Amino acid sequence: MTYEVRVPLRVLVADDDPMIRLALSEVLDAEADLQVVAIAEDAVQAVSLAETHGPDVAVLDVRMPGGGGAHAAREIRVRSPRTQLLAFSAYDDSGTVDELKRLGVREYLIKGVTNAEIVAAVRRAGAAVQA
Amino acid sequence: MQPDDGYRMLVRNVRDYAIFMLDPAGHIISWNAGAERIKGYTEDEIIGKHFSVFYPAEDSDKPARELREAIANGRLEDEGWRVRKDGTRFWANVVITALFDDNGELRGFGKVTRDMTERHHAEEALRASEERFRLVVQGVRDYGIFMLDPTGHIISWNAGAERIKGYTEDEIIGKHFSVFYPAEDAGKPERELREAIANGRLEDEGWRVRKDGTRFWANVVITALFDDNGELRGFGKVTRDMTERRIAEQALLERRRLLSHFVEAQELERRRIAWDVHDDSIQAMVAVGMRLQLLAGRLPDEQRPVMAQLEETVRASVSRLRNLVVHLRPTAIDEHGLVPALTGYLRDAVEGWGLGANLSADLAVEPPTATAITIFRICQEALSNVRKHAGATRVDIALTSTDGGTLTEVRDDGRGFPDPATGHPNRHFGLIEMRERAETAGGWWSVDSVPDEGTTVRFWLPNALAEVEGGA
Repeated sequence: MTYEVRVPLRVLVADDDPMIRLALSEVLDAEADLQVVAIAEDAVQAVSLAETHGPDVAVLDVRMPGGGGAHAAREIRVRSPRTQLLAFSAYDDSGTVDELKRLGVREYLIKGVTNAEIVAAVRRAGAAVQA
Repeated sequence: MQPDDGYRMLVRNVRDYAIFMLDPAGHIISWNAGAERIKGYTEDEIIGKHFSVFYPAEDSDKPARELREAIANGRLEDEGWRVRKDGTRFWANVVITALFDDNGELRGFGKVTRDMTERHHAEEALRASEERFRLVVQGVRDYGIFMLDPTGHIISWNAGAERIKGYTEDEIIGKHFSVFYPAEDAGKPERELREAIANGRLEDEGWRVRKDGTRFWANVVITALFDDNGELRGFGKVTRDMTERRIAEQALLERRRLLSHFVEAQELERRRIAWDVHDDSIQAMVAVGMRLQLLAGRLPDEQRPVMAQLEETVRASVSRLRNLVVHLRPTAIDEHGLVPALTGYLRDAVEGWGLGANLSADLAVEPPTATAITIFRICQEALSNVRKHAGATRVDIALTSTDGGTLTEVRDDGRGFPDPATGHPNRHFGLIEMRERAETAGGWWSVDSVPDEGTTVRFWLPNALAEVEGGA
């Protein structure tokens, strides 16, 4: 089985830092099997864009305005249940990780991991949707 | 036996009193057992002698004077030194009674003498002791010690009272002790006496007024004095001028307050910098790193090593910035408490220094955030010392809830040092800083080091900062 025969994974990116938003969507868009369908600047936008686009995967910043990744995760689970959630954070914080895991976040990526790791994590999440 | 014979026998045999008679000129005409015992003369030796033999040389005019007085008043009582036959002296109580016949003619004198030497000595000793005590009390300059009568009027005064309050003895005796109280304390003096009567004593601290109107901060103890019948005889009052101590205490308090404000401001500033680095610098570097990786994918193979190097530099910077953030502001303390924060620090920082690290915590009470931050900072400083100086292979931290606070122990297995006071100046500075932090937070800090065995830093911080208050 190859990725070429599949419809690209539709990804939502949410981060309040414009440089990260842009870099992250460029990294994901550079992959043929991934397509960034929405970019959100805060948690509220992330929820509404997820509801509109129903993405396969949402990559959520943990700390962002509008309630942070936790709020976004909780709401997206309700409004777009099929969307798989990944957290993307600038710090490793076991307490926050636990909370996000409880809210259904599959993986927790520390900012600074390689692009390849990010891409791999998004693909893993997407595989769960398509399975 | 006639009653007269009975009396005579009685008198002759009484041993506790010398009872004898003098003729009108003062010659001894009778003697008894008591007289012989007390004065040492037998009857044969003394009969016919003039009674002035019993008086010491310095009292040569006294015998005649006493007889004259006895004649004038019917009797005379005297206490004074008398001389025994062997020349030794005794303290005598003497009663001389002039004896007149029915015609009013003087027939002689009856003399009763009692040896009071022992009682005299006891009284003298007591008097001397009281005198010494009085001198001590009078001479004490650090305490105002004086007495009040049952209504609160001053009946004695000492040097300390004069020094502290400014009144001389003449000025103050007879005045009511309420003159020492400031106007706003009207009613307090009486209240204090009532309380001293009810409880036996009363202790108070507060402002008192000197003669010149200036004030001093006094510690006062009032003791109610009751006699054997339980009747109030007055009050003892001991006053101490605590002004200097109060100033010193307040200066210390002020210094602590300043230090704690300083520490607070420092923590605030560190947190601000930490957030800035976290939200801005790290994000920017991460974004740069991601773009470099994208770019690397589009470059010809021969340029990739350069790009990889750049990327590695960025990654290292991110890692260093992250350590800086943890060092500046352990965010975990705010959100999850002391133990996760310390555990994280040991894992992320200390183990990276090549040290084995372990944390054991037995906390019945989680210290408040401000205290937790101080504990974390002192641990950081202690760990930094271990890293720089100890040459240790492992370090153990133990946290225990005790005495309403948290006891922390940071123990390493390093080379130790002989004496912290003579240690390396920089290290010494680090020690002082830890100690200051602990004391500012109202706790204590100590270091114990055994050469070649290791060093243990131990400190305790209260969970709530004790409020030092003035005035009662």
